[in-house]
Amino acid sequence: MVFGLLDAVKYLGPDPLINILPFDRVKAVHTNLLLVWVLTGFMGAAYFVVPEESRTEIYSPKLAYWQLGLWVVGGVTAVVGYLFGWTEGNKLLEQPYVVKVAIVVVMLMFLYNILMTIRKAGRWTTTEGVLVAGLALAALLYLPALLVFDNYTISIFYRWWTVHLWVEGVWEMVQAGILAFLLIRLSGADREVMEKWLYVIVGLVFIAGILGTAHHYYWVGVPAYWLPIGGIFSALEPLALFVMVAYAYVAMRRSGMQHPNSLALHWTVGSAVFTAFGAGLLGLSHTWPSVNKWTHGTLITPMHGHSAFFGAYVMITLAMITFAGPALTTRDVQSERKMGYWAFWLMVTGMFGMTLAFGAAGIGQTYLERIMGLGYMETQLKLQVHFLMLTLTGILFTVGVGLFVIDFFSVPPRILPLSNGAAPADAELAVAHA
Amino acid sequence: MTKRHTRLFFIGGTLLFAAIFVALTVDSHRQFAALTNADKITPDVIAGKHVWHRNNCINCHTLMGEGAYYAPDLTKITQQRGEAYLTAFLKDPSQFYSEAVNRRLMPNQHLSDAEIREVIAFLEWVSHINTNGWPPRPIQVSTGAMAGTTAPSASATTEAASNNPVALGEALFRNPAYACTACHSTQPNVKLAGPSVAGIATRAAERMADPGYSGEAKDASAYIRESILHPSQYIVPGANFATAPVGGISLMPADFGTRLDADQIDRLVAYLMTLR
Repeated sequence: MVFGLLDAVKYLGPDPLINILPFDRVKAVHTNLLLVWVLTGFMGAAYFVVPEESRTEIYSPKLAYWQLGLWVVGGVTAVVGYLFGWTEGNKLLEQPYVVKVAIVVVMLMFLYNILMTIRKAGRWTTTEGVLVAGLALAALLYLPALLVFDNYTISIFYRWWTVHLWVEGVWEMVQAGILAFLLIRLSGADREVMEKWLYVIVGLVFIAGILGTAHHYYWVGVPAYWLPIGGIFSALEPLALFVMVAYAYVAMRRSGMQHPNSLALHWTVGSAVFTAFGAGLLGLSHTWPSVNKWTHGTLITPMHGHSAFFGAYVMITLAMITFAGPALTTRDVQSERKMGYWAFWLMVTGMFGMTLAFGAAGIGQTYLERIMGLGYMETQLKLQVHFLMLTLTGILFTVGVGLFVIDFFSVPPRILPLSNGAAPADAELAVAHA
Repeated sequence: MTKRHTRLFFIGGTLLFAAIFVALTVDSHRQFAALTNADKITPDVIAGKHVWHRNNCINCHTLMGEGAYYAPDLTKITQQRGEAYLTAFLKDPSQFYSEAVNRRLMPNQHLSDAEIREVIAFLEWVSHINTNGWPPRPIQVSTGAMAGTTAPSASATTEAASNNPVALGEALFRNPAYACTACHSTQPNVKLAGPSVAGIATRAAERMADPGYSGEAKDASAYIRESILHPSQYIVPGANFATAPVGGISLMPADFGTRLDADQIDRLVAYLMTLR
């Protein structure tokens, strides 16, 4: 958060920190912290959902704590390393090799623990199955990030196997799994029906998303047939996201907003809607090849990136944290949560404003620089007002995050003996990372 | 439709499309060598790729449009700026831009001479990758002012001028393949990487009368020709492009003598001689 805001100010310039903390390092920290935070949230969510769904306790809370410890050490090492220029400089996969290996180890520890939990219980539901399968595939798809190629084009090709197939594939599977869990719990909708449609959603995600990888390939030195493939399958990608909105809507209509934890309802439905907007519509706005030809590499990309990531992964994680709160802390589910609502609306408004600021800047850049042929440097100067907007709405967003964190820590956790479950600490740390 | 059906839809659909994806990947691998000129990946190019990664370049710049949007795209940079220019730039970027004007600066990466040579070799290799026609119009680092607002459109120029050497010269000057406009503006007082060519004919004539001139040209058009073919023959003292040259070498690419034929150079000189 803080680092993102710092980047926004750097867009405005001048930059007094250029020699201590230049944009590239700040940016690497910004994106990597987001990834670490979301993955922490996902794993925390799994540690909560799996025992709930399988009606058992975590196989080894001790292992979970060790895993969390190693994860935090790896994450902190990477972030501190970036600040001092220790990086592999591969966008989003900057992690130095040892950290990459540590990430793989953590994932394996996590999967072992989860699978043993399910085995111990001897029963599993579709909802948790989708969630766990998504996380297992995420671990598998991290492996291409370990490959090194001399040919830059080929290294880009496989970089997207990790990055794209995570965020537009298996992570959406995780999101859909959590969404299904929350909707079933919050609306009391029929499990059989909800899980039936869950399969439809993840099916659509992969049918469109796998070949949708092509929209990252257009201009990086690949055969031309990736262009029409990317165009068509990217256009199909929003379909799954719209089905997700309909899914949430129908579930909610059936039972109304009766559940006492209506803040969790806000985040849950909000996630589905914001995903359809940010990932679906705004993604679609620039994936068609003849459009992308002009917008590729402009500020249109962060417009889509910020709103998609927030809607799909941040909001669903916050939904899970808000939902799990009353179960894991001393919070009374009936309690008034004014600050929580302020956090929700400030974050949503702030992110919406940032999306608009990036969008306006991106459209301006596309016309001035790409179509009219004005130089990059001159174009950026003409976009200053949008960077100002970006900074201001970013501040709104940050205030929202601050309120969420304060609200979260305002109630102490339920202290239980270790053997009774490690989920509280996990969920708590998920927030601490924000 | 039951849950069993939709599960089948999910598993079947995923496997089918994953299989198609893998098949296309295999086919792409058959074509990568030709599309990327893999035979040109020398040890310098590979070393340059490591320089590119080690210095985290991608988290400000973009390459083939991928990166961080905070600094210019460098896909075709070696075709727009010569090696001498890029070397001088990488040695000390602050010589080339001003924070007061541009609001953003590149921090000095303190690269060694070898690293600079390698990263330029890497960028040169990248600039020849077949990018399916991207970018559709050259992306310029800096143009000083709105390009295209002062010149007739390229097609109109060629139509009207099939025999007119001045118009042909202007078309050449604005041809993205030679990228003259990447460094030279036609508007007065707009200093890009190189000096403005506005009034160049007048200045060339003045230069001939200047006792400090040490080149071999005898008249204005010969001076312009000399500047195109042998940019380092004479460098105007005090100009920004003269403060940074490496060992008295001009930042302008020195290979126009091989990239342009004699007729083309005549036309270019004819066009520039009209700028008084």
